[in-house]
Amino acid sequence: MSDRDREPQPPSDDAGAGGPEDPSRRRALAIGVSVLGGGLVVAPLVPALGFVGFPLRGAVTSAGGDFIAAGSRAQFGPTIPIKVDLYADRRDAWAVERQVKIGSCWVLERDGELKAFSTVCPHLGCAIEYDEEASAFRCPCHRSEFDLDGTPVEGPSPRGLDTLEVKQDAGLVAIRYQRFRQGVGEKVEA
Amino acid sequence: MAGIIDWLDERMGARALARRVANPDIPGGPRLQYVFGAVLVYLFLQEVVLGVLLALYYSPSTATAWASTAYIQDQVTAGWFLRGLHLHTSSAMVVLVVLHFVQVVWTGAYRRPRELIWWSGVLMGMIVLGFSMSGYLLPWDQNAYWGTQVRTGILGSLPGGEPLKTLAQGGGELGNLTVTRFYAIHVFLLPLATALLLAVHLIALRKHGVTPPARLDEAARAQTKPYWPYQRVLDVGAMAVTGAALIAMTVYTHGAQLYAPADPTTAFVARPEWNFLFLYQLVKFFEGPLQIVATAIIPGAVTAALFALPLLDRAPDRSPRRRIWVLAFVGAVMAGVVALTAIAIVDDAGNEKYQKAHEAALQDAARARALAAEGVPALAATVVWENDPDFKVRALFKEHCATCHTIEGKGGQEAPSFDGYSERRWLFDLVRDPTAKRFFGGTKEHNAMEPLPASDVSDEDLWATVEYLYSLRGDAKDIDDAKASRGKALWDDTLECNGCHELERKAEGAAPTLAGRGTLEWIQRVIADSSAPDLFADAAEMPKYKDKLSEDEIAALAQFIVEQGAPASTSEEDATP
Ligand code: FES
Repeated sequence: MSDRDREPQPPSDDAGAGGPEDPSRRRALAIGVSVLGGGLVVAPLVPALGFVGFPLRGAVTSAGGDFIAAGSRAQFGPTIPIKVDLYADRRDAWAVERQVKIGSCWVLERDGELKAFSTVCPHLGCAIEYDEEASAFRCPCHRSEFDLDGTPVEGPSPRGLDTLEVKQDAGLVAIRYQRFRQGVGEKVEA
Repeated sequence: MAGIIDWLDERMGARALARRVANPDIPGGPRLQYVFGAVLVYLFLQEVVLGVLLALYYSPSTATAWASTAYIQDQVTAGWFLRGLHLHTSSAMVVLVVLHFVQVVWTGAYRRPRELIWWSGVLMGMIVLGFSMSGYLLPWDQNAYWGTQVRTGILGSLPGGEPLKTLAQGGGELGNLTVTRFYAIHVFLLPLATALLLAVHLIALRKHGVTPPARLDEAARAQTKPYWPYQRVLDVGAMAVTGAALIAMTVYTHGAQLYAPADPTTAFVARPEWNFLFLYQLVKFFEGPLQIVATAIIPGAVTAALFALPLLDRAPDRSPRRRIWVLAFVGAVMAGVVALTAIAIVDDAGNEKYQKAHEAALQDAARARALAAEGVPALAATVVWENDPDFKVRALFKEHCATCHTIEGKGGQEAPSFDGYSERRWLFDLVRDPTAKRFFGGTKEHNAMEPLPASDVSDEDLWATVEYLYSLRGDAKDIDDAKASRGKALWDDTLECNGCHELERKAEGAAPTLAGRGTLEWIQRVIADSSAPDLFADAAEMPKYKDKLSEDEIAALAQFIVEQGAPASTSEEDATP
């Protein structure tokens, strides 16, 4: 919009101080129009930014957090890990899904203590499998391998398998499901 | 900045292009009545931006449309504002379409050679109503549902309209495909059509320029003025006034209403958007077979007349006096629309029943939205597995059996476990110690059978006996005959089991007969009624399921329990730990 005011204008009866051809007046108009036009864009833009950035303000999806019943203590032994699916209500934006599988873990006894390893690979989140022949946990994606204590033996995983909190009460086992940040050496909640 | 412009100018003549596009000459000089088109373009762009934003959160399906809209309205930052602004902007577009239309008709701007501008304009005006109608359904609330029900009903009532209705609804009734169709129309088809028509509209307008008032003479018309600065100041000023009014209105009304979710089973007094009230009122005037007059004939005739206007108007010039019939016709239509709208509003204002129903609807809406804050229960797609018969029978087992019986290590211990059920190993362990928790240890009053320790019967003898017992099922094909006959000898001569257990079918004894024991049919009978005299008789503790479950369910459960014994070992060697 500024190109015209630099060009010579044909004579016009409006020419002269105060008319539309007066450069200072044209500049004032240009500023006014820019301010109004800018306002038109900015007014909805501010709420729009909050709207788009809403997921940054807090978790949109959530599940677990509490201890979840995982069956009787008797079913878990020291040699073969048992896969346990954990069910809980899951919140996903507007929806809540009742008692859906929110995650799984491998449970076994190590040194007399019950351990639950999340099936989420600490590398990039694929599902860890148990390899019966090798008695080891394996990730099918980038071949990370872990021993029965969850310690990494091979592959790119930056840390061992993530343990989940286990609680026992009257022969029943409960496990707290959590997700952890992937690809980093430290186990921190995601 | 100037550098970039220079660069572009050198390569594509940016300055000259900008001048041609953005700064045309205006015959007769700038005027306030030229602002409507500019404001409409601005509003359209605002709708596009707001629409894209809303689409970040909206989910088009009957299960999620209302829930996601409620989420936008009540939870997402500024969601109520952007949604409200989207709705009010669409209303403003209707108003401006009407103003633009009146101005164009008054100046006779539809006349040759501006037919294309006119036709594209009329089409865009109709599209604005199309946006309103399709967007109306998307929240899938009561108002949306019932309002759309009426509209598609009207479509279906037209001659040959039934297939059209099915096509528009995506089926015989409003449902998922209606939402997806309306969504596709609203966010893809209509905006695309608008963009194309707008291009035609503006290109043709650039060619012919705006139409100055008819009263200006040749000389005044020849006095062209550039668009910049005054027309632009007027345009941007009008946009700013409109924009500010819309924001004020959105804040004042706290956005758009969202009623309770669509419920096809409850009545709801739906009212169309204000811009369709006139049609709604018109339909009320024509009853029965005459309805088509209001739904198709009158609107169709008016639309056809509007399209034909440039062809019908043969007046020698644009002066209003020479086009009096055109102005009278359009004036009459406008007056009719205004009058019908007013009647509809006044009718409802004085209609106590409607007021009450509307009040109740608002209360429902508030309640539903408060509940939605906890999340709207939904099913994950993985529930498709529940269609699997295996899932169904497991659910049945969990519900009716798992309190007492165990499978796969899970369940109660009040009754025998089904892991490896009735296989040789299971029988062996049972006979050795029926009082184990795995067997009858947890079952009340079920202690008549005594353990048979290794000191009484050797493992070898017991396996032979088990082989014999297993053969009594009658359905086992892998019987080791030599072993079984040794078992039979033990049974007949040494063991004392036959004091309680009979070996003929249906024979009554102090304990269940062992003929056919563990087969599908036997398990079925136990589930139905375990207190039959040839089964557990008086010792039966298990509830009778013959009245609680259907025959098919019992058969499925029995099959499931038989399968629990399936992968077990078939010979003594690999069965012995
Ligand atoms: S995700 Fe498991 S190794 Fe990469």
